[in-house]
Amino acid sequence: MKTIILSTAIRLLTPLFQVFSIYILLRGHNHPGGGFIGGLIGAIAFVFDTLANGHESTEKTFFTLKVYQQPRKSGISYLQHYLQFIRMNIQRKKEAGQLDVQQQYCIQLRPVYLMALGLFIATISGTISLLLQQPFMTSQWPEFHIPVLGSPGTPLLFDLGVYLLVMGIILKIVFTLAKE
Amino acid sequence: MSQHLLVLLPLLLPLYGAILCLPFWKRSLPQQWVAGCTQVCWMASAAMLIYEVTTTGIVKTQIGNWPAPYGITMVADIFSALMIGASTIVGFAVYLFSLRGLNESRKTYGYYPMLLLLQMGISGVCLTGDIFNLYVWFEVLLISCFTLLALGGTKAQLEGTIKYVTINMLASGLLLTGIGMVYSLTGSLNLAELGRLVRQPGSDLSLVNIASIFFLIGFGIKSAIFPLFFWLPASYHTPPIAISAFIAGLLTKVGIYTLIRLFTLVFIMDRNFILPLLLVLSGLTMVVGVLGAASQTDFRKILSFHIVSQIGYMLMGLAINTPLAIAGSVFFILHNILVKTNLFLISGVVAQRHKTFALKKLGGEYLKNPFLAILFLLSALSLAGIPPFSGFWGKFMLAKAGLLNENYSIVATSLAVSLITIFSMTKIWNEAFLKPKPDNNGSEKEVVTSEEKQASRYLLVPVVLLAGIILFIGLYAEPVISLSIRAAEQLKNTDLYINAVLNR
Repeated sequence: MKTIILSTAIRLLTPLFQVFSIYILLRGHNHPGGGFIGGLIGAIAFVFDTLANGHESTEKTFFTLKVYQQPRKSGISYLQHYLQFIRMNIQRKKEAGQLDVQQQYCIQLRPVYLMALGLFIATISGTISLLLQQPFMTSQWPEFHIPVLGSPGTPLLFDLGVYLLVMGIILKIVFTLAKE
Repeated sequence: MSQHLLVLLPLLLPLYGAILCLPFWKRSLPQQWVAGCTQVCWMASAAMLIYEVTTTGIVKTQIGNWPAPYGITMVADIFSALMIGASTIVGFAVYLFSLRGLNESRKTYGYYPMLLLLQMGISGVCLTGDIFNLYVWFEVLLISCFTLLALGGTKAQLEGTIKYVTINMLASGLLLTGIGMVYSLTGSLNLAELGRLVRQPGSDLSLVNIASIFFLIGFGIKSAIFPLFFWLPASYHTPPIAISAFIAGLLTKVGIYTLIRLFTLVFIMDRNFILPLLLVLSGLTMVVGVLGAASQTDFRKILSFHIVSQIGYMLMGLAINTPLAIAGSVFFILHNILVKTNLFLISGVVAQRHKTFALKKLGGEYLKNPFLAILFLLSALSLAGIPPFSGFWGKFMLAKAGLLNENYSIVATSLAVSLITIFSMTKIWNEAFLKPKPDNNGSEKEVVTSEEKQASRYLLVPVVLLAGIILFIGLYAEPVISLSIRAAEQLKNTDLYINAVLNR
């Protein structure tokens, strides 16, 4: 289904959805809201994009990172080589045509990686207190404050994990359904 | 090591293992390594837990540092630690079997993470001290079991899975109703607090007894007790052995574990109603299960019906309800987890060679592979309860407790059922091992490549491991029996559990 209205609107709305989902995620740690609903809202943007442009386009635009690689030249140390590698990848659009022999490969962020990362962060947030000789999932609050957020404790970490997990699961379901 | 970490390690290790498997989606080799390391660590953590529980008594941790009746408590007493110990051994054996005994596509599409999540669920059920949390862990079991049973998506598997899930969803609904009733009656979900409230003088027990029936039916479905067992033989024989061996060995026993926990701790056994009901149910479960087994001609189906029959023995201990009887139940559960898994694994080894489970088409194993035949004989005799093997001690304790408590009819039933168990095991022995292999189509010659030969030799490793443990428990039963007697004393003396959890 390709409509101009939807695909134009979604291009404008995607950043809005993203920012709002992060707002909900952060707000949730003292007020109603949180990781679950934030993850859902964050996934909406990609779901709409899939509806408008198809899942291949969504995966290509948002979840694929193209990496250019150059073989190391003989006179250059490893450090210089990696610095050059990073610089090349940051300014790739300008230089992509000019640079000589390049290998180009894609790093794809699959939804299942998001799920794994989310689960891992959520579990880690509970385990931190175990390592401090306290019961599992006891909230830990650091001393310092971040201006808008307040003190970022382990519940925020847990919410972040849930956020990623929910987003990964929704994307997995949507991409699978879109492929069918 | 702090108590908090000790109690939660058996639960957290499989979870971390499953999470670490996920980045290697569709690549089986790294998943195998992660799962293998997790299984070994899981065994070590269970061993530490058993050591701690037997030396210092009940250990517990309050999740999130919320005090006992309000937060979720994780408790380990001897019974739960022993359950986790047995399931880690079985988990390791099934993991070893899966390395060669499961096809590549199932391995790459999530066998290892789901197996680990299933193991996490088992640890959760055994450790939790909160009745709603218990329900959640059973849902974890149900979901991962559902995925494992359907993994691969063959027609027979899907059919079995649908039956399994439908009936278990119904059971979960009944459990939830029961939990709701208990909560509205007492205002608490903590098992220890419930046990305390129910034992208070002047509390109204009639409604609690009605609520207990919901739990009896719910867990009755999950552990395949007599009128509610029909889903089990219909679904357990469909998936590959590396899946069904673990599920068959453990899941129904986890249901029985919960029944024993709830009916010793929370629900006071009514001498006029619940005890006789349990007694009748256990007798019928034994008889119907074993008769079903006697009428089957498929290796796995016979074993599936035997699960039902053995559940009757475990329930018998609860129904007689003396410390010795419950100790018998505990011992029987431990022994049965090992033996049942081993028999399933052996059926897998046999089927790997013959590509079928139908007894009619099997044969000649004794001549070709006498070692496997001996391993089967050992497990089968242990299941039937012949003296030097582990099953004998469980049945002996149960029968002795029954005689002491003057429940003569159930003892007679259990002994008669043992005879029929031997009969149906003899059937497998005769058909699969002793009789010559029937020629199918006359000309088809069996071609065993050297690779297959090596694979089937490798498949024997977990079988030998389990058979060794069974033999060890049978010949040197003293430590396990004394542990189960201590577990039963802890179960009967509910004040220990209540005081440990509520910090009184």
